[in-house]
Amino acid sequence: MRDEERSTEFVEFTRTHRRDLMRTAGLLCAGDEAHAEDLVQTTLTKLYLSWARVRRADSPLAYARTSLTHLFIDETKRAHRRRETTSADPTLALAREPVRAGTDLELREAVLAALQSLGPRQRAVVVLRHWLDLDVAETAHVLGCSTGTVKSQNARALAHLRTVLETADHHLILEESP
Amino acid sequence: MTDHDLKQALHLAASTSRHAPDPADDLARARAAGQARSRRRVRAGLSGIAAVAVLGIGTTAVLTGQDSSGTPSAGSSSTPQPSTKAPDGIQLVAETLDASPYTFDLTPQGWAVQGEHPWTVTIAPTDGSVSDHPDDFEGKLVIMFEPRPPGGREVDVDGRRFWITGDSGYTTISTWTLPGEPEGAVRLQYPNDTGWDEDTMLAFTASVHVGDGAEFGGGSTEPDGMQPLDQVGAQRPSERPTLEP
Repeated sequence: MRDEERSTEFVEFTRTHRRDLMRTAGLLCAGDEAHAEDLVQTTLTKLYLSWARVRRADSPLAYARTSLTHLFIDETKRAHRRRETTSADPTLALAREPVRAGTDLELREAVLAALQSLGPRQRAVVVLRHWLDLDVAETAHVLGCSTGTVKSQNARALAHLRTVLETADHHLILEESP
Repeated sequence: MTDHDLKQALHLAASTSRHAPDPADDLARARAAGQARSRRRVRAGLSGIAAVAVLGIGTTAVLTGQDSSGTPSAGSSSTPQPSTKAPDGIQLVAETLDASPYTFDLTPQGWAVQGEHPWTVTIAPTDGSVSDHPDDFEGKLVIMFEPRPPGGREVDVDGRRFWITGDSGYTTISTWTLPGEPEGAVRLQYPNDTGWDEDTMLAFTASVHVGDGAEFGGGSTEPDGMQPLDQVGAQRPSERPTLEP
């Protein structure tokens, strides 16, 4: 494949799907937008470098989401991973300010805080199962673990989310999907 | 609230006010990474050619009877000597790498755990040069647990024996597990031309600890990139050695 052709396809893919990838990354990173941006940038670079595989995939977007999740899990396993946590963007800091009870923004903060209190793998299970709508087998495939592990991690994660959100006065009933 | 409601909550949490950057920035970044990878591969290739040339000179020196004192032979049971690593060689850092049920005392920089099973673990370079699929072993480091080492060239390091084989673009190093660990052999398969030299491979293999959850693998079918067991060698050690104090 010519480099120009690959570049054209890559730009079109990025223009169409980058926002979707950012939203998934944002959930995986529990609202850490800088980390999410890092993940998306690295994922897109990896996709470009193996663009032939992206083209062969039944769903390039699904392939990209899987790559993103793998990268997230890999990063959490890397012992020497270093991250800067400063936020130079004042608009990001404002978003962390306390907000009025009962607003969508308050619920958003509560959900992100609940996600943040989960372990990375449990968070990934929640995102894959309940945000990307993957079934148990597909989730196990992406995470490289057994379906039993997915089921147990999902059950624990939902129980934890239920407890945390109820503590924050959000009485959400989170039912485990079959 | 149903699962549909959970999805709505996640939808709310996933909302972002960030403007999507120009795709040209992503393209420029990706192209730069691709060019850097190409340069690394060229340098690795040149290092390999240089290593072959050095080996060739060494072989010629032995064949012509020149003095080669102090140079270890490549025969069995040799003790590896420190080598000069290529600039792009694997760097091991003294940090724990957790790949449950296996842990390593050393961590290869630029590599990360990708797939974890009780019978096999995959560690892959993070430069995007290999598949993200954890069961695709092409170009990746694979750790397996087996009843016995498959044999090969014997190398002793610090009183511990390792068996080295090489075929089909991979180098495999096996050793018995340590006392106190599940009895069996741990086998690491390294992809060639990715910066791992023998000393680094031995050091990383020696740093592995096998946890209680490890299970024997080695099925009849080998995934992509996996070297079949029957090609590795059939020489079996007669007894399980122990570490010297």
